[in-house]
Amino acid sequence: MAYCIYYVPMSRTLRRLAPFIAAAVILSPLLREPRDDTYPLSTYPMFATDRGAIMSIDTAVTIDPTGGTDHLSPKQISGTDEIVSAAVVVSRAVRNGDAELLCIDIADRLDNPDLTVQIRTEVVDTAALVDHNARPISIEVVSECRSGQ
Amino acid sequence: MQKRTVKRNALQRLAIIRIAMGSYAVIWTLVRTINILDTSRQPARRFDPVGPLWFLDKPLPVSYVVVGIGVVVVAGTAMVFGWRYRLTAPVTAVAFMFITTYRNSWGHIIHTENLISVQLVVLALAPAAVVWSVDSHRDTESDDGWWALKSMAVLATGAYLLAGIAKLRISGMHWIDGDVLLHQIAFDNARKIELGTSASPFAAFFIKQHWLMAPSAIVALVIELGAPLALLKERIAIVWAASVVLLHFAILGMMAILFPYQLLGIALLPLLPVEVAVVRFLDRRRAQNAIAAPLEPAL
Repeated sequence: MAYCIYYVPMSRTLRRLAPFIAAAVILSPLLREPRDDTYPLSTYPMFATDRGAIMSIDTAVTIDPTGGTDHLSPKQISGTDEIVSAAVVVSRAVRNGDAELLCIDIADRLDNPDLTVQIRTEVVDTAALVDHNARPISIEVVSECRSGQ
Repeated sequence: MQKRTVKRNALQRLAIIRIAMGSYAVIWTLVRTINILDTSRQPARRFDPVGPLWFLDKPLPVSYVVVGIGVVVVAGTAMVFGWRYRLTAPVTAVAFMFITTYRNSWGHIIHTENLISVQLVVLALAPAAVVWSVDSHRDTESDDGWWALKSMAVLATGAYLLAGIAKLRISGMHWIDGDVLLHQIAFDNARKIELGTSASPFAAFFIKQHWLMAPSAIVALVIELGAPLALLKERIAIVWAASVVLLHFAILGMMAILFPYQLLGIALLPLLPVEVAVVRFLDRRRAQNAIAAPLEPAL
């Protein structure tokens, strides 16, 4: 077939095989552990795990001089607006012992010098929190630092 | 004659997919530019390369990402119009794969762009600019393009099949009793609250509807595991595609998680006879224009 500007000419055999090649490629993640995720060939493990009714969630908060607590936004935590990325950033920091470093990162980004930043793990009844904003069952402060220092 | 009609239909559907997928890639990139750049500016210690970028041992300069974004926008726009498709489509596919892979290389995989990334690769090799493109006035030979439509359809259905299999591999049949779904909805929304954002406005309502969870879980699993059936017949494909769009609306309502590419149905276009509706619409418009046009003055 002559060179053409519209598309890459493919042999008849390749055209016949193409859907099977596509199937092999997209289903190849079945050869991996289901939680061994990557991009773009994902195992699609989202929504598959039983999270349980009581969960510990790593988060970052500020405490003002009057004791008022505010949960920080993904942008304030990780510098991006992606919620799950921010969750991963906090959880990794807690798991890898980098919580202090993250605390300082966050404190540097805040304008208000009177705030205390806490990286903490809150154990929550997730349904109760969503339904009527129930308080956490327990709070463990992993790291604490002051903004503007 | 019938063979020619079949070929024309395939080429028209490919052209529609070129316009839809190309536009989506360009618009998504423009809308997410700040997010992509913010992600790329994170501290190097968070860098965890995946997929095609596995070989990187440190983050790339942000300028590489800026170039990638620019290439998607420029080449993608040319691709939408079908200008020099053989060059612009593969360039768009590679650049889009690069920026989305890089965005996912910071410790968490986001599952909203996987499908378009791989479908764009197939589309880039397909005769998708033979009709309805700025270059379509040139004479050309082409194959009928069905292989590309089938391949993209296989990719779409395969992704849903995988999602269904993952649920069974990770949680087993326990997934269909509804508790896993209930906990997932509660957890996802609770995490949003804990991270200073808003939960879905419908979340509190849904988590009180325990009776709804088991049937919803079963329906979701049937849609996902039944995806390959959509490859058998056009009618099944239409029903399945409608179910998938509804599934994504449900996910949006329950967890405020948006899968725009799937929700808009673009991922499912290779399965659907969309060219029939478009041709009918164009014919009707042409007929209306002919009626509205003033008559030639009689000489």
